[in-house]
Amino acid sequence: MIEVTGIRKRYRGRDVLNDVSFTAEKGELTCLIGVNGAGKSTILKLIMGLTPLTGGTIRIDGQALEPKLYEKIAFVPDHLTMPSGMRLSEALRFMADFYESWNEKRADELMRFFQLEHSARIGSLSKGIAAKFNLLLGFAQDSDYLLLDEPFSGIDLFSREAITEVFTSDLMEHRGVLLTTHEIGEMEHLVDKAVLLKGGKVSLSFHCEEMRSEKGKSVIDVMREVYGA
Amino acid sequence: MNTIEGWSEVAFNNRDPVYLQVVRHFKERIATGRSSAGQIIPSRRELGAFMKINPNTVQKAYKEMEDQQLIITEGNSPSRITNDTRLLNQIREELLGDAVRDFWGKVKNIDVPIEELLLLVERHFREEGEKK
Repeated sequence: MIEVTGIRKRYRGRDVLNDVSFTAEKGELTCLIGVNGAGKSTILKLIMGLTPLTGGTIRIDGQALEPKLYEKIAFVPDHLTMPSGMRLSEALRFMADFYESWNEKRADELMRFFQLEHSARIGSLSKGIAAKFNLLLGFAQDSDYLLLDEPFSGIDLFSREAITEVFTSDLMEHRGVLLTTHEIGEMEHLVDKAVLLKGGKVSLSFHCEEMRSEKGKSVIDVMREVYGA
Repeated sequence: MNTIEGWSEVAFNNRDPVYLQVVRHFKERIATGRSSAGQIIPSRRELGAFMKINPNTVQKAYKEMEDQQLIITEGNSPSRITNDTRLLNQIREELLGDAVRDFWGKVKNIDVPIEELLLLVERHFREEGEKK
């Protein structure tokens, strides 16, 4: 379980996050929802230790953050960070060298599934293809947790469908997935738990199926109430 | 073996619990004979991928159907539709009963005589039948 308790982040004189608490369980897909600038990506970066916490604690399976925990968590940022001159085959090699948890067989499966060319160069990929390859770099790590920053933003419908398909595949089994999004769209039926951020706080967090059975509301309905669109 | 063959996609609504919509879909399949006694049903993951829903939701639906004894899961073998034909026959009645109650809930306030209502239902039934 990823346990975020009372975290705060102050950046350039502004409280980006002010007392945020939530949990993301193993075997579940948890969705961090919020409008642009709500601090969603910052939360993922804080979990990954990429930026310092101003206050609060983050625990993974009960343990405080420390470098060796990061073999347990894979992080997919919202853009591909590999050098643009690299070929995909070289990027895969790079990952295999740097990550103990790298699963080559899984990477091969995903290369085929997403129909990616080993010889293509990172810099020449279209946005949708780059997004798929970016996800592959996360999915192909045998990690217990997977953090994804806006995996669906700015990519076409068919790429989104292919990615959605990966979420229902055995690649996700027993893993905890925490992803951020500003729109729920086709994720509505995939998400176990939604955490709604507003004004640097968690405004509401709920299990989607419980919300439907108890209140008859969809995730979008709740978002409308919270964000008042 | 491809157990998903012959399954069609379902347009889920966002407001009813998805697992109950899955259960209902199974009941409709049973009532219309598309799934029959003893038949092996798709694995949780297969169905989740096919219907583009969370496998945990499918798991919950299967649990619910196990509780209602609609499906049977023994050990590690794939789940099957029950062989209890008495139970299976009840499903059609249950679905029709539910539909009639919903319908009644909507028309009772209109205060329409039963003869007129039946006539309207009959006409609608024929018109829709012709469209098919």
